[in-house]
Amino acid sequence: MRPRLDSLLRTTTFRLALVQAGVVLSFVVLMLGYVYFATAGQLIRDSDALADQEYATLERAYAEGGMRRLNQEVVERAARQGPFLYVLAENNGTVVTGDFQQLPATPGETPERVAFNFERLDETGAPARGRASGRIGRLLNGPILLVARDLGDSAVIAGRITRVLFTVALVGVVVSIVSGFIAAGQAARLAEGLSNTAREVMAGDLSRRAPVRGSGDEFDELAGSMNAMLDRIEQLVQTTRTAGDAIAHDLRSPLTRFRQKLEVALERPADSAADREALRNALDEADRVLDMFSAVLKLARVEAAGNWRLERVDASEILRELVEFYEPAAEEQGRTLRGHVEDGLLLRGEHGLFTQAVSNLIENALKYTPEGGNVEVRAVRRPDGRIEIDVLDDGPGVPPAERDKVLERFVRLETARSTPGVGLGLSLVSAVARLHKGGLHLRDGLSNGERRGLGAALVLPAMAAR
Amino acid sequence: MRVLLVEDDAEMADTLRASLAEDEHEVDHAGDGETGESMALNGGYDVIVLDRMLPKKQGVAIVRDLREKGVSTPVLILSALHDEDHRVEGLNAGANDYLGKPFSTRELLARVRALWHGRDRGPQTQLRVGDLEMDLLARTVKRDGKKLDLQPREFRLLEYLMRHSGQTVTRKMLLENVWDYHFDPQTNVIDVHISRLRSKIDRDFAQTLLHTVRGSGYRLEG
Repeated sequence: MRPRLDSLLRTTTFRLALVQAGVVLSFVVLMLGYVYFATAGQLIRDSDALADQEYATLERAYAEGGMRRLNQEVVERAARQGPFLYVLAENNGTVVTGDFQQLPATPGETPERVAFNFERLDETGAPARGRASGRIGRLLNGPILLVARDLGDSAVIAGRITRVLFTVALVGVVVSIVSGFIAAGQAARLAEGLSNTAREVMAGDLSRRAPVRGSGDEFDELAGSMNAMLDRIEQLVQTTRTAGDAIAHDLRSPLTRFRQKLEVALERPADSAADREALRNALDEADRVLDMFSAVLKLARVEAAGNWRLERVDASEILRELVEFYEPAAEEQGRTLRGHVEDGLLLRGEHGLFTQAVSNLIENALKYTPEGGNVEVRAVRRPDGRIEIDVLDDGPGVPPAERDKVLERFVRLETARSTPGVGLGLSLVSAVARLHKGGLHLRDGLSNGERRGLGAALVLPAMAAR
Repeated sequence: MRVLLVEDDAEMADTLRASLAEDEHEVDHAGDGETGESMALNGGYDVIVLDRMLPKKQGVAIVRDLREKGVSTPVLILSALHDEDHRVEGLNAGANDYLGKPFSTRELLARVRALWHGRDRGPQTQLRVGDLEMDLLARTVKRDGKKLDLQPREFRLLEYLMRHSGQTVTRKMLLENVWDYHFDPQTNVIDVHISRLRSKIDRDFAQTLLHTVRGSGYRLEG
């Protein structure tokens, strides 16, 4: 599956490749400039300096001996076959003497630098092309003097260097564009792999995972993170699905009973006592459904931790009040509820949720403790500074292997099916503990003969003492 | 007693209106927040029952504006949102009571009555129901001149019942007002507290003051 060209052109990698080509091009242009300046440029500057000296010498000769003397000097020097080329011309530009028949350039008001190409016969008589650079100017009273130096081989060398550099620059740019294309193609293929996975997941296949090649590069890392995210999502969806199924299952039964009772009541002949009984039963079922809904909503809100404002909570006071609150009912039902609560246990928490969480634990303990049993609420500040709240009973307990399970939503052990409840109590306590940055742990409780009891330990960070 | 009911769910409104009418209240109904507010401003109502989520104007905003305009009619907010922060927001805005949906009709009727009776009594130092007397400053309770020994929580429980004497008080109202608990205990905890209190105030006397109202709650009546 090759990425199409237009999508390739849009990739980040390709844009980076273009930028890189631009950088290479600028670098080469700078290099070229520097090399030219250092080689050919230097040659020309050196020869210009010599030409300036020669021009100055001739200028002095003119000042001392006039046109005649100057003409003589130029003729002599030209005949010497030195490195210089000379032209001496009248005011109007007519050449008097020198290496060229015509002035290769026109002079300005003041002596100035001049560079030009020329053609002349060499020693063997063959015509030779050359490039020269030097100085041209008008002397006092008007004659024109040109002194230049044949740049000869150095010009040729400079030209070659320039051409080579230009070629290298061109190749460099082409290579970087091509390599950019290749890298972009590679990256696009890797990204394509990731986005294919994402599309398949979106289409509903949550088990798909992005390919990890084991190279450890950033694409592997991205694929790894993506897979970890997908694992988490799959797990959450699974939990939600399980919870959804459980809600559907648990709601459907009471709703069905609800419907059935009303239907039966409607179909039989009117009998006000029986009808009222049916209505009462239906009302109980409706309450069960509503309780379950409330519990599910509450749990969802606690699990979406962001909505709660945590404030200073006096756990000692709340626990004592809860024990005081439940104690009479426990006694009435033949159970003993006692509290051993340390003073001054403060935590950062949500008052209502904390209270409800502990009340769930106490109710749970009372519910599963047989008549004559004991429930104890203990609260201490542990040596590690955390607050531990234990609600212990001497009931049948929960086998260690099943303890994790009862913390899951809607899980009620078979033995608990006969007692009322929606199976969300411990899940809510656990969620409240997490909201308070702590945890709920299940252990053995108060052992009593055969029974090992259940101990629910809520371990929460204490608020820093002031 | 005149009740203004502001509720957008027509079916719910009909049921509530029927229940309130049966409880001998005269009921006016508004289907949205703006209508509800202008009726409350012009109204002369004894109690306003306000849904929290309403079209055009939300219940909490209505209470806030009514209180700002000096309307002190007791307000009960009904809401599906009844976590602690929602409730506190509603009460802070000026509502007198906050009842979470779903609720039972009896609960609503008891609270509407309680709101009306509870208004504008001003600070009291003495409460009296029949021959039962409570001194709120000395924190003592006497029946027929004989001093009764109550625990602090029993004192608060009795105080609430005395302040609402003659009315039905639900278990939920007691939970919220005496214990400040906003969850439903699954056991008959409140009943046991009541029966302990009853044994202290009624046992040695011929006339029973603390009555159980079947299916609803309790009533203290002299």
